[in-house]
Amino acid sequence: MDFADTPEVARFRAGLRAWLAGHLDEYRHGTGYHSDAALAATLRWHRALAGAGYVAVSLPAEYGGRGLPDVYEAVINEELARAQAPAAPPIGHIAHAIADFAGDELKTRVLPGLLGCTSSWCQGFSEPGAGSDLASLTTTGRREGDEYVVDGQKIWTSGAMWADWCLLLLRTEADQPRHRGLSMLVVDMTSAGIERREITLANGSREFAEVFFDGVRVPAANLVGQAGIGWRIAMHMLTYERGPADMGWVGRLGHVLAAAVEDVRTGRCAADEPLRRRLVACAVNIDVLRWQVARSLVDRAGVAASVDKLLTTRIEQELFRVVGDLAGTGFVQGDDRFDEYLWSRAQSIYGGTQQIQRQIVAQRVLGLPRG
Amino acid sequence: MEIGLDQDQRAFAEVCAKLAAELATRWSPGRGPDDTSPAEPDEVAWSRIVAAGWLAIGLDEASVVDLTVLVEQLGYHTVPAPVIGTLLAAERLRLGGAGQDLLDAIGGGEVRVAPLLRRDLTDYAGTAADAVAWDSAGAEVTHSPDGTGHHLGDPLPGADLTRRTRAVGPAAGHLALTDPGTEDRLRLTALGLTLATADLLGVMRAALDDAVEHARNRTQFGAPIGSFQAVQQLAADCLVSVEASRSALFHSAWAADALPADEAVAAARTAKAFVAPAAVEVCETAIQLLGGIGMTWESRAHVRLRRAHASRALFGDEHHQLRHLTGRLLGENGR
Ligand SMILES: Cc1cc2nc3c(=O)[nH]c(=O)nc-3n(C[C@H](O)[C@H](O)[C@H](O)COP(=O)(O)OP(=O)(O)OC[C@H]3O[C@@H](n4cnc5c(N)ncnc54)[C@H](O)[C@@H]3O)c2cc1C
Repeated sequence: MDFADTPEVARFRAGLRAWLAGHLDEYRHGTGYHSDAALAATLRWHRALAGAGYVAVSLPAEYGGRGLPDVYEAVINEELARAQAPAAPPIGHIAHAIADFAGDELKTRVLPGLLGCTSSWCQGFSEPGAGSDLASLTTTGRREGDEYVVDGQKIWTSGAMWADWCLLLLRTEADQPRHRGLSMLVVDMTSAGIERREITLANGSREFAEVFFDGVRVPAANLVGQAGIGWRIAMHMLTYERGPADMGWVGRLGHVLAAAVEDVRTGRCAADEPLRRRLVACAVNIDVLRWQVARSLVDRAGVAASVDKLLTTRIEQELFRVVGDLAGTGFVQGDDRFDEYLWSRAQSIYGGTQQIQRQIVAQRVLGLPRG
Repeated sequence: MEIGLDQDQRAFAEVCAKLAAELATRWSPGRGPDDTSPAEPDEVAWSRIVAAGWLAIGLDEASVVDLTVLVEQLGYHTVPAPVIGTLLAAERLRLGGAGQDLLDAIGGGEVRVAPLLRRDLTDYAGTAADAVAWDSAGAEVTHSPDGTGHHLGDPLPGADLTRRTRAVGPAAGHLALTDPGTEDRLRLTALGLTLATADLLGVMRAALDDAVEHARNRTQFGAPIGSFQAVQQLAADCLVSVEASRSALFHSAWAADALPADEAVAAARTAKAFVAPAAVEVCETAIQLLGGIGMTWESRAHVRLRRAHASRALFGDEHHQLRHLTGRLLGENGR
């Protein structure tokens, strides 16, 4: 048992800290997704990070990664959060889908741009009619010679407004049962027949879009692996979507906590005893969450992701409740954290809702019978 | 004992609901923050409100119970018009002995007033220093207890999209007002608390209705999501909160009409302490039941959640109420 870094991880961490000390200042302010300028700065930051060798390090070196264990990805996310740097590009799961399933030609064509962050990617999974029940999706790809003709609609596609490429989950095998009829296609977002419509979130965030596909022609060479394995790839991706990134999230929650603690310590914010205790309980929660996420990285059971998601949801939503209670009336009078609180309500919806996650844990971990 | 609305009150609720729903259709959150309708009612909306007598109801013979019937509908439809603010300001002026001409002009929508509340919104303000004009979209003037009128400044940033709080500007005229005295001041507090509670009940009820409607119609895994136990249990718990909140509101409103002022305030604090967190939770759960669509700007779900938070803060959140009730209930021993 050892919660401390190995000497190699410690060296890696020190190297990253040194790099951040030299490069972060320029990106400390002005990134985000709320304006064109912020977006441009964010994309520059991604390229700088990639150029320094800190993106998708768990991928094999031949594709531009460094072949390192997942722990290193977590260290990067943790250190970026610690330094209050903008987050790393959320591409690990897309990179793994392509690296682990695509043929060599497609890999060499798209991975350098993805890992070097010279091209932007989005993930087209959810549809208006297929949220929790993702496998019921109806966007279709009809094979015509050496092309697929794609028709349908995606929703909640993060980053779609500016993406160059979309990793699209769609139905290509009409005669197969629902899970086995799905495939994964790499789609050029500038193709004719694609229309994007921005979705603004309840907190004003502007990273999402609906994407409409109307007779979009995609080369069959852009199929990831074979037709019919789309669901398998999607499930594989889920194990990479969280895990290491959670460490960065814990770090960011830690900053929210630290700011609240500082408000109380300095007396800027009045807090009676019950509120003080709840704040300390949040500190306990976040420590436990950090240990839990760290344990999942090295001792990963297949369903760690669902357990950790549920724990994160519980802890994050309580944290913002306490932050709001501490802020009192100020919370509804222009406190920036109100928007973060709203975002915390999405934590129990995206990436599989709280109800679905509980069902996964109950049925697949606890082995309870299906209803 | 006769707990519930009488026939007239039920009829009044229906009339209010009709106009509130109509006013709500004139407003939209739009596609994003830059596209949201203003919180000020337009001329047509304001004239409808005036014609309905909503602004004058507090100045006539209406009971607090009657007022809550109206305000619950304002909350239910998240009506973007400063009716509650007008009611609170008018009642303050009436108890301060303002002239009938002014009160009539307020009731007729010609003079648009806003209540002067402490910046932390926990009560009416004693002076204009560190005070704000609450629910003041489109209002022209707010009055200090000493009778000084004040112009209104810019809207302050706020979470609520359907009501505005504004800064207090320079003095504008003077009224002869008298101190209403302790008893009436307590009545004002009880009124403010009770109307905030009524707004919360309306908001949470709308959130639940919307979520239940969605759960009936939205299909996933080949069945309406409302058929899944996880969804049913959340919805059922919400209804428990709504029903209990209604009982709390009824008692609070009755107490404001019937009990001595200090007991009315205690009843109002008790109700608010229960309903404020319950309303927020129901609005949060409604978003959960809507799924992703509930997290979009275009959805009313966050409009309700925002309004619930704002009304929760109005005259103090549950923690504020519990602090008051703690002293009353436990005294100082055993600390
Ligand atoms: C902020 C945010 C970011 C997102 N990012 C992405 C993205 O990048 N890419 C992408 O593809 N998608 C994304 N999504 C979509 C997200 O994955 C879906 O919203 C989510 O899967 C839920 O689907 P839904 O919204 O259709 O809700 P529904 O599936 O309709 O669910 C509605 C309600 O019913 C419940 N429910 C549904 N089925 C069951 C059941 N069997 N048992 C019990 N309860 C059930 C749910 O728990 C929920 O409470 C994002 C969503 C949000 C809010």
